[in-house]
Amino acid sequence: MASSSVTRSRDLRLQGVAASPGIAIGRVLRLDERGRHQFYYIGVSAAQARMEVRRLREALEEARNQLRDIKLRLAEELGFKHSFILDAHLLMLEDLRFIQELESEIRTRRVNAEWAVRSVADRAIAVYKQVSDPYLRERTSDLEDVATRLLTILSGHDKFDLSKLDQDVIIVAKNIWPSTVAELDFGHVLGFATNTGGLTAHSAIIARSLNIPAVVGLHDVTRVAKTGNLIVVDGAAGEVILRPTKSVLKSYIQKRDNDRSNRHDDAVGSQAAETIDGVRMTLRANVELPTEIDSLALFGAEGIGLYRSEFLFLNRLPDLPGEEEQYEVYRKLADAAGEFGANIRVFDLGGDKLTLGGFETEQNPALGLRAIRLSLKVEHIFRTQLRAILRANLRGNLRVVLPLICTITELREAKRIIAEVKQELADAQIEHNAHLPIGVMIEVPAAALMADLFAREADFLSVGTNDLIQYILAVDRANENVAYLYQPLHPAILRTIGHLVRVAEAAQVPLELCGEMAADPLQAIALIGLGIRTLSLVPGSIPLVKNAIRSIEYDRVKSLMKEAMKLKSSSEVEELLVRELPQQAPRFFAAWSSRA
Amino acid sequence: MQQRTVTISNRLGLHARAAAQLVRRASQFTSSVHLIREDTGDEADGKSILSVLLLAAPCGTCLIIKTDGEDDERAISALAELVEHKFGEEIPDGVF
Repeated sequence: MASSSVTRSRDLRLQGVAASPGIAIGRVLRLDERGRHQFYYIGVSAAQARMEVRRLREALEEARNQLRDIKLRLAEELGFKHSFILDAHLLMLEDLRFIQELESEIRTRRVNAEWAVRSVADRAIAVYKQVSDPYLRERTSDLEDVATRLLTILSGHDKFDLSKLDQDVIIVAKNIWPSTVAELDFGHVLGFATNTGGLTAHSAIIARSLNIPAVVGLHDVTRVAKTGNLIVVDGAAGEVILRPTKSVLKSYIQKRDNDRSNRHDDAVGSQAAETIDGVRMTLRANVELPTEIDSLALFGAEGIGLYRSEFLFLNRLPDLPGEEEQYEVYRKLADAAGEFGANIRVFDLGGDKLTLGGFETEQNPALGLRAIRLSLKVEHIFRTQLRAILRANLRGNLRVVLPLICTITELREAKRIIAEVKQELADAQIEHNAHLPIGVMIEVPAAALMADLFAREADFLSVGTNDLIQYILAVDRANENVAYLYQPLHPAILRTIGHLVRVAEAAQVPLELCGEMAADPLQAIALIGLGIRTLSLVPGSIPLVKNAIRSIEYDRVKSLMKEAMKLKSSSEVEELLVRELPQQAPRFFAAWSSRA
Repeated sequence: MQQRTVTISNRLGLHARAAAQLVRRASQFTSSVHLIREDTGDEADGKSILSVLLLAAPCGTCLIIKTDGEDDERAISALAELVEHKFGEEIPDGVF
């Protein structure tokens, strides 16, 4: 947004991946200090060695207690019943061989407990590092996490007792380790900003389930942000502003407060997403995690516009989720979605998302074997998923969406397989509901240009703006050198969406839109002005966007977008909206005028 | 004493989660449990996670399981089954 201010001010703007919406403003707490303490070799006498063994045992006990507490908190606060990685860590701390090795290191080498932990862990890590299997090699992080925990306890470095923060902070870290996330004092964590990670990163998922703003994939935020720095995390725009100038800070404080009051507006939950002049919009939820399903009613979502089914794979590859397991999840979705229904996007694996085993790493994954291409290639996985969906569809309120379609052949091939799976279920007399509308995800330019043809053979169209923008503008927004080109309001994007609206109307086929654009009030209103009526977005942003919709007049926004379509650049469009919307809809957009 | 050779067929091999499951299962029996990598000859105590992790056995590794004790027959079938079933169905809401 407001990119013109980059050159004028001293503040440092970094673009990352928008992982969890909302605006957080606060002081940085950088976590990369963890594990960096220096440990020294201290030679000890036999008597002192006994003391060191006792210290070690106490530290082991303390570490086990910490992990048990973390497991309990995860279960109680986040609803994660199983934590395999923490289980493995606990087992290490209970491992008699490990303990014996540590103790004998202290006794025979006459060293302090810290040194013993470091040496034993380093030896084990060295063995692991020689393994040719890259996944196993990465698992040194488990050993390192356990060793760090022990060392932190032994050295009394308790300054990072994250469960008892005394002030509000924004966590800045390279990556957030599972056990660290679990330890955080959520009451004092305002937001996250991390170097690594995409939408599927732990930190991103936790942030979304807690409704904490987060930006991930920032590459080097830990290099430039120091503990105590002022930072703004704009989780909807995927941007952080470090050491903001007064004027920038002021505008973000206004936007945050505005955002907050609109986001936490309980009253809006039960109200309709209707404009002042009575045009009704539909706001649906994007869902990734089982825990999010329960929050749909709270945020007033009208069903599920996008269930990202590949999240079933999260952290559990290569063991594919079986048919029964998928069936249970889809049943839960169908029950929660009720009359509004749920769109299940079939596995969108590969590319930058989760990868499936057995395939070479690709030079150019965004253009490689992913999504529907992968499903058609590894057909048994696709069939298992379809069986589970058809069986769970007892209410007849489920629909499937096919991702990354770019040829009519792909759609026909997928439809043929769906028909075959229905037949198989019917032949085997397995209970299912064959009424399963099939949607095409419009997220590559080819599909957008051929939307009229897809509209004839599909039951509905769903625009995925994140990928559509990436492919139309040929930009990887996680690449900081070109991130400025990720422009949702680029005339090419607006024209494409306008085209899709006209095609869908002519063909009388339902059109939905999902993507981060839908969660940004300004962009969401622009989309509505273009004629989009159904938006699917992260549940936590529904009240915000609904408030924006309730503050506008559809007719005026429609004319405004007609004006916008004559403009030549994204910044011209944004300037127009930032100038006009606060006048048209001051109740919601007043705070936005200061951002121009 | 019982002995059986199994092949690790889950893609990630004996990583932390799989190793944890194997150690938990092994610890349910009174018999001793030894694992030997057929290719390298490396041995591990099946009841020690660190020891099992240090085998660092990737997918495709042939693993000799040896159990010895009162319940060695039950132990060997349980462990062979676990490996053959790719360490079991996992539970959907386990994010960590």
